[in-house]
Amino acid sequence: MRLMSQIVEKQDQAQRPGTGPQLASLVEEARAGSRKAFEQLMVLFQEDIFRMVYYRTRSSMDAEDLTQEVFTQAYKNISRLKAVDRFRSWLFQIALNRIRDFNRKRRFRSLFGAFGDTRETAETPAGVSGQPKALDNLMAEDFWKQVELFLNKLSRMEKEVFSLRFMDHLSIKEISQALGKSESTIKTHLYRSIGKFKADHSMHQLIQEDVA
Amino acid sequence: MNTSNGLHLDDDQLAWAVVDEAELPFPLREHLSTCPVCRANREKTAENLARLGQMAARFAPSPPKPVALPVKEPRAVVKWSWGWRAYASAALAAALVLAVLWRAPVFRNPSRENGNTLAVEMQETEQFMTEIAMLVDNALPAVYLDISAESSAGLDDEFMEFVVPSVEDESLTYNSRKRGVSLC
Repeated sequence: MRLMSQIVEKQDQAQRPGTGPQLASLVEEARAGSRKAFEQLMVLFQEDIFRMVYYRTRSSMDAEDLTQEVFTQAYKNISRLKAVDRFRSWLFQIALNRIRDFNRKRRFRSLFGAFGDTRETAETPAGVSGQPKALDNLMAEDFWKQVELFLNKLSRMEKEVFSLRFMDHLSIKEISQALGKSESTIKTHLYRSIGKFKADHSMHQLIQEDVA
Repeated sequence: MNTSNGLHLDDDQLAWAVVDEAELPFPLREHLSTCPVCRANREKTAENLARLGQMAARFAPSPPKPVALPVKEPRAVVKWSWGWRAYASAALAAALVLAVLWRAPVFRNPSRENGNTLAVEMQETEQFMTEIAMLVDNALPAVYLDISAESSAGLDDEFMEFVVPSVEDESLTYNSRKRGVSLC
């Protein structure tokens, strides 16, 4: 019988850009001050970081700005990166911190009414699913609304761990490095969030509709 | 729940199996590897989670434009080389710090401080008592002693006895003060 978890793991690995010795040598060169090597790293990880930020801000403009900030900060501080194999989790750690700062500022500004909820209607690239763009937008809007409803049922840590594992495709080890928690803590949060996911019928319905 | 009774993994155990199969106890792992129903349940959950990730990626836009790096070069890794100047500066700084700390009240010996204070206080008290004794002998300042004839020579006890003779007959003096009694 086909093992779905193995497939998921393989998919995760396939979605991880530039793994292995090639990535390690690029990171090593970038640490030594090579701008060209860092630009290659940016090409490899830009989409991952952009999506990760978009999942949490739901605004492509903010996601674009924050992605830029994440890479700028990473470029300035790459000499401080101790272990080459931690580059991906380090990049996600920077992104998480930037998002946290962004949300804090947004909450502060919203207190004065100068800056409301900037979440825009979900955008989808035209022609991805072969359907008219308006329908894609509606589906995307509905999807993100359901996801948000589900994620709001989780605790802050469960939400973060669940998103990093199943939406950003980080391994448990990478999540533990990015969040600075032990692997057993990450597993516990994952276990709880999966339990809530299994109990959430609207999410199952959403997924089944997509399958159909 | 389990295997020996012919029961399947429950939801919690299936969730653990999705997180990390190695975390399950051995009998459950063994059951999972042989039971098609439990494996199908676990694969179903894992499949739904994977599909959620795929949908999220599909419903998110792609980055509009590539990220641009700032013009300034990053800082290279600085390797410190400690020459004699650095060591000398460090030693000087340490000496200064020690000197400052030595002067600080924290590093003074409190018992020694207390001893010194006590001796000084005793000396002051003794000096003060000496001054009082002098004042008892001669209450007037030296300037007034000539006026009061306190400092004149020759006013010895014999002269004073002559000027103010001492009373020798106490009873006579006593009786003379009594009214109605006359001396014989």
